[in-house]
Amino acid sequence: MASCLFLKPIKGAGGDLPDISGFVADLEQIDHYALAEVDLSRYRALLVPAHLDQRFFGTLTQKITRFLDGGGTLVFNGHVAWPMLPEFRPFEVLPKVTLETLEVHRLAEHPVFAGVEAHDLTYRRGVAGFYARGHNPPPAGAVALNGLGPERVPCDWVYERPDGGRILMHAGNDLWMYAGASDSSARIVPQLCRWAAGED
Amino acid sequence: MAQITVLDSGTYYHHRTIHEERYRAHFDEIVYIRDLPRTDLSDHDLVLVSCRTDPSQLIPCRAQFADYLAGGGTVVAMGSTGQPSWLDGVVWHDTPTNFWWWKEGGSLGLETVAPGHPLFSHITLEDATWHHHGHFDVPEGATSLIDVAGTGSVLYDDRDTTPGRMIVTALDPMYHHGSHFMPATTRFLDGFLPWLRTL
Repeated sequence: MASCLFLKPIKGAGGDLPDISGFVADLEQIDHYALAEVDLSRYRALLVPAHLDQRFFGTLTQKITRFLDGGGTLVFNGHVAWPMLPEFRPFEVLPKVTLETLEVHRLAEHPVFAGVEAHDLTYRRGVAGFYARGHNPPPAGAVALNGLGPERVPCDWVYERPDGGRILMHAGNDLWMYAGASDSSARIVPQLCRWAAGED
Repeated sequence: MAQITVLDSGTYYHHRTIHEERYRAHFDEIVYIRDLPRTDLSDHDLVLVSCRTDPSQLIPCRAQFADYLAGGGTVVAMGSTGQPSWLDGVVWHDTPTNFWWWKEGGSLGLETVAPGHPLFSHITLEDATWHHHGHFDVPEGATSLIDVAGTGSVLYDDRDTTPGRMIVTALDPMYHHGSHFMPATTRFLDGFLPWLRTL
Protein backbone atom coordinates (compact mmCIF):
# COMPACT_ATOMS: atom_id res chain seq x y z
CA MET A 1 0.00 0.00 0.00
CA ALA A 2 1.24 3.48 -0.80
CA SER A 3 2.03 6.17 1.76
CA CYS A 4 0.69 9.15 -0.16
CA LEU A 5 -2.89 9.58 -1.28
CA PHE A 6 -3.33 12.06 -4.12
CA LEU A 7 -6.76 13.50 -4.65
CA LYS A 8 -7.43 13.89 -8.36
CA PRO A 9 -8.54 17.40 -9.38
CA ILE A 10 -11.98 18.24 -10.53
CA LYS A 11 -11.34 18.82 -14.14
CA GLY A 12 -12.89 19.95 -17.33
CA ALA A 13 -11.95 18.51 -20.68
CA GLY A 14 -8.58 19.46 -22.06
CA GLY A 15 -6.18 17.34 -20.02
CA ASP A 16 -3.84 20.21 -19.18
CA LEU A 17 -3.52 19.33 -15.51
CA PRO A 18 -0.41 17.60 -14.22
CA ASP A 19 -0.20 13.86 -13.76
CA ILE A 20 2.49 12.80 -11.30
CA SER A 21 1.97 9.07 -11.61
CA GLY A 22 5.11 8.58 -13.72
CA PHE A 23 7.35 10.47 -11.31
CA VAL A 24 6.85 8.81 -7.94
CA ALA A 25 5.96 5.25 -7.04
CA ASP A 26 4.72 5.62 -3.47
CA LEU A 27 1.28 6.98 -4.23
CA GLU A 28 -2.31 6.12 -4.87
CA GLN A 29 -4.80 8.37 -6.62
CA ILE A 30 -8.53 8.58 -6.07
CA ASP A 31 -11.30 10.45 -7.81
CA HIS A 32 -12.16 13.81 -6.31
CA TYR A 33 -15.44 12.98 -4.62
CA ALA A 34 -14.25 9.56 -3.44
CA LEU A 35 -12.51 11.38 -0.59
CA ALA A 36 -15.76 11.25 1.37
CA GLU A 37 -15.60 7.45 1.54
CA VAL A 38 -11.89 6.62 1.64
CA ASP A 39 -10.28 5.36 4.86
CA LEU A 40 -7.54 7.92 5.50
CA SER A 41 -6.01 5.94 8.36
CA ARG A 42 -4.39 3.75 5.69
CA TYR A 43 -2.23 6.65 4.48
CA ARG A 44 0.50 8.86 5.93
CA ALA A 45 -0.24 11.82 3.70
CA LEU A 46 -3.10 13.37 1.79
CA LEU A 47 -2.22 15.68 -1.09
CA VAL A 48 -5.01 17.84 -2.47
CA PRO A 49 -5.00 19.78 -5.75
CA ALA A 50 -5.67 23.45 -6.42
CA HIS A 51 -8.65 22.38 -8.53
CA LEU A 52 -10.46 21.46 -5.33
CA ASP A 53 -14.17 21.64 -4.58
CA GLN A 54 -13.62 23.47 -1.31
CA ARG A 55 -17.32 23.40 -0.46
CA PHE A 56 -17.09 19.59 -0.60
CA PHE A 57 -13.75 19.50 1.26
CA GLY A 58 -15.30 21.75 3.90
CA THR A 59 -17.89 19.07 4.65
CA LEU A 60 -15.04 16.75 5.64
CA THR A 61 -13.47 18.93 8.34
CA GLN A 62 -13.92 16.32 11.08
CA LYS A 63 -12.49 13.56 8.93
CA ILE A 64 -9.43 15.61 7.95
CA THR A 65 -8.91 16.78 11.53
CA ARG A 66 -9.00 13.17 12.77
CA PHE A 67 -6.45 12.25 10.11
CA LEU A 68 -4.17 15.07 11.25
CA ASP A 69 -4.68 14.26 14.93
CA GLY A 70 -3.49 10.76 14.11
CA GLY A 71 -0.22 12.13 12.78
CA GLY A 72 -1.13 12.51 9.12
CA THR A 73 0.33 15.06 6.72
CA LEU A 74 -1.86 17.30 4.58
CA VAL A 75 -0.41 19.05 1.53
CA PHE A 76 -2.70 21.84 0.32
CA ASN A 77 -2.40 23.78 -2.95
CA GLY A 78 -4.42 26.79 -4.05
CA HIS A 79 -6.19 29.77 -2.58
CA VAL A 80 -8.29 29.29 0.54
CA ALA A 81 -11.79 30.55 -0.26
CA TRP A 82 -14.27 28.50 1.77
CA PRO A 83 -14.22 27.35 5.41
CA MET A 84 -12.33 24.05 5.55
CA LEU A 85 -10.00 23.72 8.54
CA PRO A 86 -9.48 25.90 11.62
CA GLU A 87 -5.83 26.37 10.57
CA PHE A 88 -6.85 28.02 7.29
CA ARG A 89 -7.57 31.67 6.64
CA PRO A 90 -8.78 33.20 3.35
CA PHE A 91 -6.30 33.96 0.59
CA GLU A 92 -4.91 37.47 0.41
CA VAL A 93 -3.77 38.63 -3.02
CA LEU A 94 -0.65 40.79 -3.39
CA PRO A 95 -1.79 44.42 -3.38
CA LYS A 96 0.57 45.16 -6.26
CA VAL A 97 1.95 42.82 -8.91
CA THR A 98 5.44 43.69 -10.17
CA LEU A 99 8.54 41.63 -10.93
CA GLU A 100 9.81 42.64 -7.50
CA THR A 101 6.69 41.63 -5.55
CA LEU A 102 6.41 38.31 -7.45
CA GLU A 103 9.99 37.26 -6.73
CA VAL A 104 10.21 34.10 -4.63
CA HIS A 105 12.63 34.06 -1.68
CA ARG A 106 13.64 31.07 0.43
CA LEU A 107 12.86 31.84 4.05
CA ALA A 108 13.75 28.55 5.73
CA GLU A 109 15.42 25.37 4.54
CA HIS A 110 13.09 22.42 4.18
CA PRO A 111 13.46 18.93 2.63
CA VAL A 112 10.72 19.62 0.06
CA PHE A 113 12.66 22.56 -1.41
CA ALA A 114 16.23 21.27 -0.87
CA GLY A 115 18.34 22.15 -3.89
CA VAL A 116 15.50 24.07 -5.55
CA GLU A 117 16.66 27.51 -6.69
CA ALA A 118 14.21 30.28 -5.77
CA HIS A 119 14.93 31.72 -9.22
CA ASP A 120 13.45 28.59 -10.81
CA LEU A 121 10.26 29.15 -8.81
CA THR A 122 10.05 32.84 -9.67
CA TYR A 123 10.40 32.33 -13.41
CA ARG A 124 8.79 29.95 -15.84
CA ARG A 125 10.11 30.39 -19.36
CA GLY A 126 11.39 33.74 -18.19
CA VAL A 127 7.97 34.90 -16.95
CA ALA A 128 7.24 35.64 -13.28
CA GLY A 129 3.92 35.13 -11.53
CA PHE A 130 3.11 31.47 -12.02
CA TYR A 131 4.30 30.34 -8.61
CA ALA A 132 2.11 32.44 -6.33
CA ARG A 133 0.26 35.76 -6.32
CA GLY A 134 -0.49 36.07 -2.66
CA HIS A 135 -0.75 33.92 0.42
CA ASN A 136 -3.02 32.00 2.73
CA PRO A 137 -2.14 33.58 6.10
CA PRO A 138 -0.43 31.02 8.34
CA PRO A 139 -1.49 30.14 11.87
CA ALA A 140 0.73 31.24 14.75
CA GLY A 141 3.59 28.81 15.07
CA ALA A 142 3.81 27.94 11.37
CA VAL A 143 7.21 28.18 9.68
CA ALA A 144 7.34 30.26 6.50
CA LEU A 145 9.30 28.43 3.79
CA ASN A 146 9.05 30.68 0.74
CA GLY A 147 8.03 34.32 0.61
CA LEU A 148 7.12 36.78 -2.13
CA GLY A 149 8.70 40.16 -2.75
CA PRO A 150 10.25 42.65 -0.33
CA GLU A 151 7.58 41.84 2.26
CA ARG A 152 8.44 38.12 2.06
CA VAL A 153 4.72 37.29 1.96
CA PRO A 154 4.62 33.65 3.11
CA CYS A 155 3.18 31.82 0.12
CA ASP A 156 4.49 28.49 1.45
CA TRP A 157 4.49 27.41 5.05
CA VAL A 158 4.57 24.28 7.16
CA TYR A 159 2.69 23.88 10.42
CA GLU A 160 3.28 21.21 13.03
CA ARG A 161 -0.07 21.03 14.77
CA PRO A 162 -0.06 20.91 18.59
CA ASP A 163 -2.64 18.12 18.35
CA GLY A 164 -0.54 16.14 15.90
CA GLY A 165 -0.02 16.02 12.18
CA ARG A 166 1.46 18.51 9.74
CA ILE A 167 0.11 20.87 7.11
CA LEU A 168 2.20 22.02 4.15
CA MET A 169 0.56 25.00 2.47
CA HIS A 170 1.29 26.29 -1.02
CA ALA A 171 -0.84 29.26 -2.13
CA GLY A 172 -0.52 28.59 -5.83
CA ASN A 173 -1.00 26.03 -8.52
CA ASP A 174 -0.19 22.40 -7.75
CA LEU A 175 3.39 21.87 -6.62
CA TRP A 176 3.33 18.74 -8.76
CA MET A 177 3.10 20.80 -11.91
CA TYR A 178 6.90 20.91 -11.61
CA ALA A 179 7.17 17.17 -12.21
CA GLY A 180 9.67 16.60 -14.98
CA ALA A 181 10.75 20.25 -15.15
CA SER A 182 14.06 20.93 -16.84
CA ASP A 183 15.49 22.97 -13.95
CA SER A 184 15.95 22.55 -10.20
CA SER A 185 12.19 22.74 -9.57
CA ALA A 186 12.01 19.13 -10.81
CA ARG A 187 13.34 18.16 -7.35
CA ILE A 188 10.10 19.23 -5.66
CA VAL A 189 7.85 16.30 -6.55
CA PRO A 190 10.06 13.40 -5.42
CA GLN A 191 11.18 15.37 -2.35
CA LEU A 192 7.60 16.30 -1.51
CA CYS A 193 6.48 12.68 -1.68
CA ARG A 194 9.39 11.45 0.44
CA TRP A 195 8.78 14.13 3.05
CA ALA A 196 5.02 13.58 3.07
CA ALA A 197 5.59 9.85 3.53
CA GLY A 198 7.71 10.62 6.60
CA GLU A 199 10.98 9.49 5.07
CA ASP A 200 12.93 12.72 5.67
CA MET B 1 -33.34 41.34 -18.93
CA ALA B 2 -32.31 37.75 -18.32
CA GLN B 3 -32.11 36.46 -14.79
CA ILE B 4 -28.79 34.62 -14.54
CA THR B 5 -28.29 31.37 -12.68
CA VAL B 6 -24.66 30.35 -12.33
CA LEU B 7 -23.15 27.00 -11.37
CA ASP B 8 -20.52 27.05 -8.61
CA SER B 9 -18.09 24.13 -8.31
CA GLY B 10 -16.75 25.21 -4.93
CA THR B 11 -13.31 26.01 -6.33
CA TYR B 12 -11.36 29.07 -5.23
CA TYR B 13 -11.60 30.55 -8.74
CA HIS B 14 -15.37 30.15 -8.88
CA HIS B 15 -15.53 31.74 -5.45
CA ARG B 16 -13.62 34.79 -6.63
CA THR B 17 -15.55 35.12 -9.88
CA ILE B 18 -19.03 34.38 -8.56
CA HIS B 19 -19.11 35.40 -4.90
CA GLU B 20 -16.74 38.36 -4.74
CA GLU B 21 -18.03 41.86 -5.24
CA ARG B 22 -16.83 42.60 -8.80
CA TYR B 23 -19.43 40.38 -10.52
CA ARG B 24 -21.75 39.38 -7.68
CA ALA B 25 -24.64 41.58 -8.89
CA HIS B 26 -24.66 39.76 -12.25
CA PHE B 27 -25.81 36.52 -10.66
CA ASP B 28 -29.39 36.18 -9.42
CA GLU B 29 -29.02 32.64 -8.24
CA ILE B 30 -25.98 30.53 -7.45
CA VAL B 31 -26.39 26.77 -7.63
CA TYR B 32 -23.70 24.60 -6.09
CA ILE B 33 -22.85 21.97 -8.66
CA ARG B 34 -23.74 19.03 -6.44
CA ASP B 35 -27.20 20.52 -5.90
CA LEU B 36 -27.88 20.74 -9.64
CA PRO B 37 -29.65 17.36 -9.97
CA ARG B 38 -32.20 18.54 -7.38
CA THR B 39 -32.70 21.96 -8.98
CA ASP B 40 -35.73 22.65 -11.14
CA LEU B 41 -34.34 24.69 -14.02
CA SER B 42 -37.68 25.30 -15.71
CA ASP B 43 -38.26 28.73 -14.17
CA HIS B 44 -34.71 29.99 -14.86
CA ASP B 45 -34.01 32.28 -17.84
CA LEU B 46 -30.38 31.48 -18.33
CA VAL B 47 -28.03 28.91 -16.84
CA LEU B 48 -24.33 29.79 -16.93
CA VAL B 49 -22.19 26.66 -16.70
CA SER B 50 -18.95 28.03 -15.31
CA CYS B 51 -15.70 27.11 -17.01
CA ARG B 52 -13.90 24.08 -15.55
CA THR B 53 -17.08 22.63 -14.11
CA ASP B 54 -16.31 18.92 -13.77
CA PRO B 55 -18.04 16.99 -16.59
CA SER B 56 -18.56 14.09 -14.18
CA GLN B 57 -21.08 16.29 -12.35
CA LEU B 58 -22.75 17.50 -15.55
CA ILE B 59 -23.12 14.19 -17.39
CA PRO B 60 -25.81 12.88 -14.99
CA CYS B 61 -27.76 16.09 -15.75
CA ARG B 62 -27.72 15.63 -19.53
CA ALA B 63 -31.48 14.97 -19.75
CA GLN B 64 -32.12 17.88 -17.40
CA PHE B 65 -30.30 20.25 -19.76
CA ALA B 66 -32.06 18.75 -22.81
CA ASP B 67 -35.47 19.26 -21.18
CA TYR B 68 -34.56 22.79 -20.17
CA LEU B 69 -33.51 23.67 -23.73
CA ALA B 70 -36.61 21.97 -25.14
CA GLY B 71 -38.61 24.30 -22.92
CA GLY B 72 -36.89 27.36 -24.37
CA GLY B 73 -34.15 27.89 -21.81
CA THR B 74 -30.72 29.38 -22.47
CA VAL B 75 -27.54 27.48 -21.60
CA VAL B 76 -24.21 29.29 -21.65
CA ALA B 77 -21.56 26.58 -21.65
CA MET B 78 -18.11 27.90 -20.83
CA GLY B 79 -14.78 26.27 -21.68
CA SER B 80 -13.23 23.10 -20.29
CA THR B 81 -16.54 21.59 -19.24
CA GLY B 82 -16.53 18.74 -21.76
CA GLN B 83 -19.69 20.07 -23.45
CA PRO B 84 -20.29 17.17 -25.90
CA SER B 85 -20.69 14.80 -22.96
CA TRP B 86 -23.69 16.64 -21.49
CA LEU B 87 -25.04 18.95 -24.21
CA ASP B 88 -26.75 17.60 -27.33
CA GLY B 89 -25.39 18.52 -30.75
CA VAL B 90 -21.97 19.81 -29.67
CA VAL B 91 -18.89 18.59 -31.58
CA TRP B 92 -15.45 19.37 -30.16
CA HIS B 93 -11.90 18.90 -31.43
CA ASP B 94 -8.96 18.94 -29.03
CA THR B 95 -5.90 20.81 -30.25
CA PRO B 96 -2.54 21.49 -28.60
CA THR B 97 -2.71 24.64 -26.48
CA ASN B 98 -0.43 27.53 -27.35
CA PHE B 99 0.08 29.21 -23.98
CA TRP B 100 3.08 31.20 -25.13
CA TRP B 101 2.10 32.99 -28.36
CA TRP B 102 2.29 36.37 -26.60
CA LYS B 103 5.92 35.77 -25.69
CA GLU B 104 7.27 33.66 -28.49
CA GLY B 105 5.65 35.43 -31.42
CA GLY B 106 2.85 34.45 -33.73
CA SER B 107 -0.82 34.60 -32.85
CA LEU B 108 -3.68 32.35 -31.85
CA GLY B 109 -5.35 32.93 -35.20
CA LEU B 110 -8.64 34.08 -33.66
CA GLU B 111 -10.95 36.12 -35.85
CA THR B 112 -14.28 37.80 -35.40
CA VAL B 113 -16.81 36.10 -37.64
CA ALA B 114 -19.88 38.19 -36.88
CA PRO B 115 -18.58 41.68 -36.06
CA GLY B 116 -22.13 43.06 -36.01
CA HIS B 117 -23.22 40.68 -33.25
CA PRO B 118 -24.31 42.56 -30.10
CA LEU B 119 -21.61 40.81 -28.03
CA PHE B 120 -19.01 42.92 -29.80
CA SER B 121 -20.46 46.11 -28.44
CA HIS B 122 -19.40 44.68 -25.03
CA ILE B 123 -16.03 43.03 -25.78
CA THR B 124 -13.27 43.25 -28.36
CA LEU B 125 -11.48 40.33 -29.99
CA GLU B 126 -8.44 41.19 -27.86
CA ASP B 127 -10.53 40.69 -24.72
CA ALA B 128 -11.21 37.12 -25.91
CA THR B 129 -7.60 36.36 -26.73
CA TRP B 130 -5.57 34.31 -24.23
CA HIS B 131 -5.61 30.61 -25.19
CA HIS B 132 -7.96 27.78 -25.98
CA HIS B 133 -7.70 24.02 -25.84
CA GLY B 134 -9.50 23.18 -29.09
CA HIS B 135 -12.46 24.25 -31.19
CA PHE B 136 -16.05 23.35 -32.07
CA ASP B 137 -17.81 22.55 -35.28
CA VAL B 138 -20.54 25.14 -35.86
CA PRO B 139 -23.93 23.42 -35.98
CA GLU B 140 -26.20 24.00 -38.97
CA GLY B 141 -28.02 27.29 -38.44
CA ALA B 142 -25.79 28.47 -35.58
CA THR B 143 -23.65 31.61 -35.71
CA SER B 144 -19.98 31.50 -34.90
CA LEU B 145 -18.86 34.69 -33.20
CA ILE B 146 -15.15 33.89 -32.93
CA ASP B 147 -13.31 31.37 -35.09
CA VAL B 148 -9.87 29.89 -35.08
CA ALA B 149 -9.08 30.78 -38.67
CA GLY B 150 -9.82 27.94 -41.01
CA THR B 151 -10.64 25.31 -38.38
CA GLY B 152 -13.71 25.95 -36.23
CA SER B 153 -15.28 28.11 -33.58
CA VAL B 154 -14.28 29.01 -30.03
CA LEU B 155 -17.56 30.84 -29.39
CA TYR B 156 -20.89 30.28 -31.10
CA ASP B 157 -24.53 31.11 -30.62
CA ASP B 158 -26.99 28.34 -31.49
CA ARG B 159 -30.72 29.08 -31.59
CA ASP B 160 -31.44 26.37 -34.15
CA THR B 161 -30.55 22.99 -32.69
CA THR B 162 -33.11 23.24 -29.88
CA PRO B 163 -36.12 25.45 -29.09
CA GLY B 164 -33.83 27.13 -26.57
CA ARG B 165 -30.49 28.82 -27.03
CA MET B 166 -26.98 27.48 -26.53
CA ILE B 167 -23.99 29.78 -26.29
CA VAL B 168 -20.98 27.52 -26.37
CA THR B 169 -17.37 28.56 -25.90
CA ALA B 170 -13.92 27.09 -25.51
CA LEU B 171 -12.85 30.06 -23.40
CA ASP B 172 -12.23 29.75 -19.66
CA PRO B 173 -12.20 33.30 -18.24
CA MET B 174 -13.78 32.46 -14.88
CA TYR B 175 -10.85 30.18 -14.05
CA HIS B 176 -8.16 32.68 -14.97
CA HIS B 177 -9.85 35.77 -13.56
CA GLY B 178 -10.51 33.74 -10.42
CA SER B 179 -6.82 32.91 -10.21
CA HIS B 180 -5.80 36.59 -10.41
CA PHE B 181 -4.21 35.75 -13.72
CA MET B 182 -4.37 37.15 -17.24
CA PRO B 183 -6.06 40.58 -17.38
CA ALA B 184 -7.76 39.82 -20.72
CA THR B 185 -9.99 37.32 -18.93
CA THR B 186 -11.19 40.02 -16.54
CA ARG B 187 -11.91 42.38 -19.46
CA PHE B 188 -13.81 39.56 -21.16
CA LEU B 189 -16.03 39.03 -18.12
CA ASP B 190 -16.48 42.81 -17.70
CA GLY B 191 -18.24 42.77 -21.09
CA PHE B 192 -19.58 39.23 -21.40
CA LEU B 193 -21.61 39.17 -18.18
CA PRO B 194 -23.46 42.46 -18.91
CA TRP B 195 -24.17 41.10 -22.41
CA LEU B 196 -25.71 37.93 -20.93
CA ARG B 197 -28.03 40.21 -18.97
CA THR B 198 -29.40 41.59 -22.26
CA LEU B 199 -30.45 38.17 -23.60
